[in-house]
Amino acid sequence: MAKLVVSDLHHRFGRHRVLRGVDLTMSSGQCVVLFGDNGSGKSTLLTLLSTRFSLQKGHYKLDDLDAADQGDTIRSRLVFISHNSHLYGHLTSVENLLFFADLRGLDCSEKRLRAAVETVGLAPFADRPTRWFSAGMKKRLTLARVLVAKPDLLLLDEPYSALDVQGVNWLNTLLADFIQGGGMIIMASHDPQRVAALNHQPHTLRKGRLTAQKELLGC
Amino acid sequence: MLKAVYRIAWKDVVGDLRRRATLSSMLFFSIAVLVVFQAAFEPDRQAATKLLPGLLWATVLFTSLMGLGRVFQAEEENGAFEGLMLASVPRGIIFLGKWLGNLLLTLLVQAMILPLTLILFNVDAWHLIPHIFGVLILGILGLTGLGVLLAAMTQAARSRETLLALLLLPLVAPLLIAGVQATAGVMVPDGQPGPWIRLLLIFDTVYLALAPWGFGWLVEE
Amino acid sequence: MNFLARIQRPLGIITLLALGASTWMVFNAPLDFQQGNSVRILYAHVPSAKMALFCYILLTLSSIVYLWKKNETADILAEAAAPVGAAFTAVTLASGAIWGKPMWGTWWAWDARLTSMLVLLILYMGIMALRNALDEPLKAARATAVLAIIGAVDLPIIHYSVVWWRTLHQPASFGGSSGNPSITGDLLPPLLAMAISFILLGGYLVVLKAREVEAHRQLEQLDVERMEEDD
Repeated sequence: MAKLVVSDLHHRFGRHRVLRGVDLTMSSGQCVVLFGDNGSGKSTLLTLLSTRFSLQKGHYKLDDLDAADQGDTIRSRLVFISHNSHLYGHLTSVENLLFFADLRGLDCSEKRLRAAVETVGLAPFADRPTRWFSAGMKKRLTLARVLVAKPDLLLLDEPYSALDVQGVNWLNTLLADFIQGGGMIIMASHDPQRVAALNHQPHTLRKGRLTAQKELLGC
Repeated sequence: MLKAVYRIAWKDVVGDLRRRATLSSMLFFSIAVLVVFQAAFEPDRQAATKLLPGLLWATVLFTSLMGLGRVFQAEEENGAFEGLMLASVPRGIIFLGKWLGNLLLTLLVQAMILPLTLILFNVDAWHLIPHIFGVLILGILGLTGLGVLLAAMTQAARSRETLLALLLLPLVAPLLIAGVQATAGVMVPDGQPGPWIRLLLIFDTVYLALAPWGFGWLVEE
Repeated sequence: MNFLARIQRPLGIITLLALGASTWMVFNAPLDFQQGNSVRILYAHVPSAKMALFCYILLTLSSIVYLWKKNETADILAEAAAPVGAAFTAVTLASGAIWGKPMWGTWWAWDARLTSMLVLLILYMGIMALRNALDEPLKAARATAVLAIIGAVDLPIIHYSVVWWRTLHQPASFGGSSGNPSITGDLLPPLLAMAISFILLGGYLVVLKAREVEAHRQLEQLDVERMEEDD
């Protein structure tokens, strides 16, 4: 059972205060969805949880790992799918995944990487440079990282943005499997309809604070 | 962790070879610099031999400045730099990967520039190529170490290429002096490159020890 | 920072008095029979050279403290020390050139001290330009701190490499690597007085600049708070 505890998290950019005391506790098999207006700090919160930003004030723990001094280890247990695809255009799909795996110290056979590319539906493009990929294809390839790394925590920033209806359904199946397997998901979204198919706890981020929504959406 | 260093360097070198981006522009730029030197000084054979260490190092410096300007440009596409920062290896390892990639590309270019210089300036020093290249390698280790750090420092800055040159040139003054003197030292029979090679080694050690540490500070947000 | 505000005025008055007194001493000091009136330039040259280095030491120490303790006052001091140091370095180079022309017959010589001073000036400029070119205050503070420390490591290497270079190449230009004549006897008290005045002047300028930097940052803070209220 993995457990994530965030308490009294603050963050400011320069002198602009974005987060003013965020608390969140969750454990394996849960999915938290963050709603909120543009600029409410959803992306900032996700980036903080990914340990890309160092903590300014507050605490963040994943199991016994403290983000203040064990960022490297926390990073090895999460995957962050942000607005950026982090893909190198001159590398092929498989090479991009290989780069990702090596930077996490994963020992992956090429076969496993190819299988991941196949699962996300990009088998015909496994050895093509990703430069010419459409936004939807790029999104699928970034999601292949989840299959390669098998993380405990998955952070998603507007994962549905580039996907068509078919893609949304496919992603929801993938995420449902992930939760079933004991993973934790924290996702930022502005669209309650698309996440409706997913068993989740909605939260709202407003004025730098996070509040759980009373009524449960979805099934 | 060594695998991460290798993979980052591999990505940069392979990427460059596939797009022929930095490598070819560095090479052609160096030829342009050599032509400018030739036109400006018009050295005869004897003068060219005497000028060669200085010409060589000035060319090395200008071309590597060009390559350094692009080290982190490759990480801007698709926000790849964020991806690097999400890696579960320490920041210093990421620095070493970026440094190794730049080092290999720069050495590749210099390996082509050296014979080119000898041809264009009509200097008969072919038997000395291993010695001269050895000195070049010693200098380029520290030059790229400091250079990649400064490239990371100016990555988010306005008019960063100019700033990079402004920061790098004064700091590498000792490297340039030692490099030129050491090269001149290995080119004459009774030359004494010893102390200068030692200075190059000091420079390399200091910067390769400091740079990964400094990089950690620069990328922390 | 309240402390700075309190000492600013008294420090300014003391600096002015000290500068006045030491200038009077300089113009009443006996003339060196070889150098004539131009020796008086050295009374400004030597202390400002010392202050150019002092400011760099202050800059380096503030940078280390800033990175270590994340203390904003240290960053403000670092930001204030750079332009003051650059000014002293420029004065050193200019006064050295003016003194060098009649004494050495040349404005400039590539000896170790001059070269290091020139590199120091470019380094100061680079540090200021870097802070200027980075929009995000936190990034700017960290980057300049790292650069200042790198520079502090580099300066001795630069100095010794130029010393080696000159001694191996052109031995004994202008009597060794040092261009300064020895100053003894009656010339010493005014020089000491001038040195103290320059230390006071440097301190005063840093205080002045630090307060300006702080006021500037407070202004930005107010701006952001007003924007947040509008939300």
